[in-house]
Amino acid sequence: MLEGLVSPESLSFSYADMSVPEMLKWLQQHQQQEVLSLSSNDSPELLQILQFHGSNNDELLQSTFSHFQMVGSGFGTNYNMGFGHSHEAMDGCISRTSSCQIHPPDTMGVMLKNSEENRAISLKNKRKSEDKTREEEKTEKKIKVEAERESNISNKEASSDTSKETSKGASQIQKLDYIHVRARRGQATDRHSLAERARREKISKKMKYLQDLVPGCNTVTGKAGVLDEIINYVQSLQRQVEFLSMKLAVTNPELELAVEDLSVKQAYFTNFPVVIASKPSVMVDVPLFPLDQQGSLNLSVSNPNQTSIDAPSESWETQSQSLFASILR
Amino acid sequence: MHMQPTSSMKEEFLQKWQMGLQIYRPLIDNTSVSERRKAIKLSADVAMASLRRGTTCWSRALIQKTATEDNFLVRQMLSGIKAETLINKKLPKVMCHRKIVRRSKKILRRRKSRSAIEEVAAKARKLVKKKTQGLRNVVPGGEFMSNDVLLIQETLDYIVSLQTQVNVMRSIVDAAEAGSERTAYYLGKLKFAIEDG
Repeated sequence: MLEGLVSPESLSFSYADMSVPEMLKWLQQHQQQEVLSLSSNDSPELLQILQFHGSNNDELLQSTFSHFQMVGSGFGTNYNMGFGHSHEAMDGCISRTSSCQIHPPDTMGVMLKNSEENRAISLKNKRKSEDKTREEEKTEKKIKVEAERESNISNKEASSDTSKETSKGASQIQKLDYIHVRARRGQATDRHSLAERARREKISKKMKYLQDLVPGCNTVTGKAGVLDEIINYVQSLQRQVEFLSMKLAVTNPELELAVEDLSVKQAYFTNFPVVIASKPSVMVDVPLFPLDQQGSLNLSVSNPNQTSIDAPSESWETQSQSLFASILR
Repeated sequence: MHMQPTSSMKEEFLQKWQMGLQIYRPLIDNTSVSERRKAIKLSADVAMASLRRGTTCWSRALIQKTATEDNFLVRQMLSGIKAETLINKKLPKVMCHRKIVRRSKKILRRRKSRSAIEEVAAKARKLVKKKTQGLRNVVPGGEFMSNDVLLIQETLDYIVSLQTQVNVMRSIVDAAEAGSERTAYYLGKLKFAIEDG
């Protein structure tokens, strides 16, 4: 799919001049405010990119603990209310990606501390995920010891350093989270491809949700076909809206939907001969002159305060609520 | 895993939609069918978008779009907070950048070597890109979603909201039609009764 204009990796390139252990130490020292000021200086486009939508993935965290895998960090939701308000965007949480894979023991494990440092640190992080990050770091150490790695020694040192530092940091209530991506055997282990793979997996996961949502998508294979179906479905829904609004405009000339709701549904579900006086368009077709003069037939249920139909209207009021609700289901 | 239109969503949509239609009722110029249809559709769209309370990209874009058609309605339907976000229009800067990026990529691509496998893969990728662009055209505000993950998330949410909208509107139309049919039926019956008797 199209690559985003500003990918998350590009944010890390500003620190390319620093070596890895330096960078990590810098990170330990500098707190949230540093990152916040950095990000707020950037263009509003970056803020758009940083506008993550996530879901609370607590159950995902549970499963990862049970399997002692690379752990994803907690999710938060960040809602960007205005485009010019840079600090408001940072007030929300960020979502961090997690890609957890179960692999047989012969695969390589690569610890990748991704460009998490470059993202805004959540201020509204839940306590749950805080506790879990501490546990995460414990499991991190275990995985580091067990995993085989072909990455550089400097990386190893750096990651072991950070593990110590982060364990200290966790005790100091720091909120650093990592994206852990496990590389399969024979696949490139540099940051770019790993991040790209994580992104691709995210996309395919979301496409699966879409496939469940859109009817008739299960038969089609391949991204292009699924996208085609989605486009058709959305277009058909939009056309339906147009059609229904046209239908309503024809059958209900005075837009008295609020009033008509109750009365129409009452008429529909009860067997009373109800003439809804508020719909002259229907009456145009039928010659009504004798009927109009007969007041008894002109039962307008639209006005619940009418005295001519006292007893039934009371019950209808209560009935209408339930009918109303039942129609919505 | 993702949700279906819930009854609470439908109720909220109906309430907001009716509120929007109430705004139209005192206006006398709703005489032609097309005017009424437009009023119905616009208030339905704003109601659907306001369900998300400005949290999704498509809802903001949809509100902006309807604001260009009927500013008054949108301002009345939403609380005062939203009125300001309407003024903050998304800058088309992002779109321009993508064009430049695309053009430069094209130039670079001409130098690449072509093998048979690569060509097929490249064609598949092109097709997918075309489809994603098509999806962007359909989803409101899609032109501003350069991130594919965001696009798919937005599409998911948009589809669910559209389903809600369609469900409620269809049930209203059915009820309205049933009501009108019933009245026509009874009127016909009475007419016959009068003619016979």
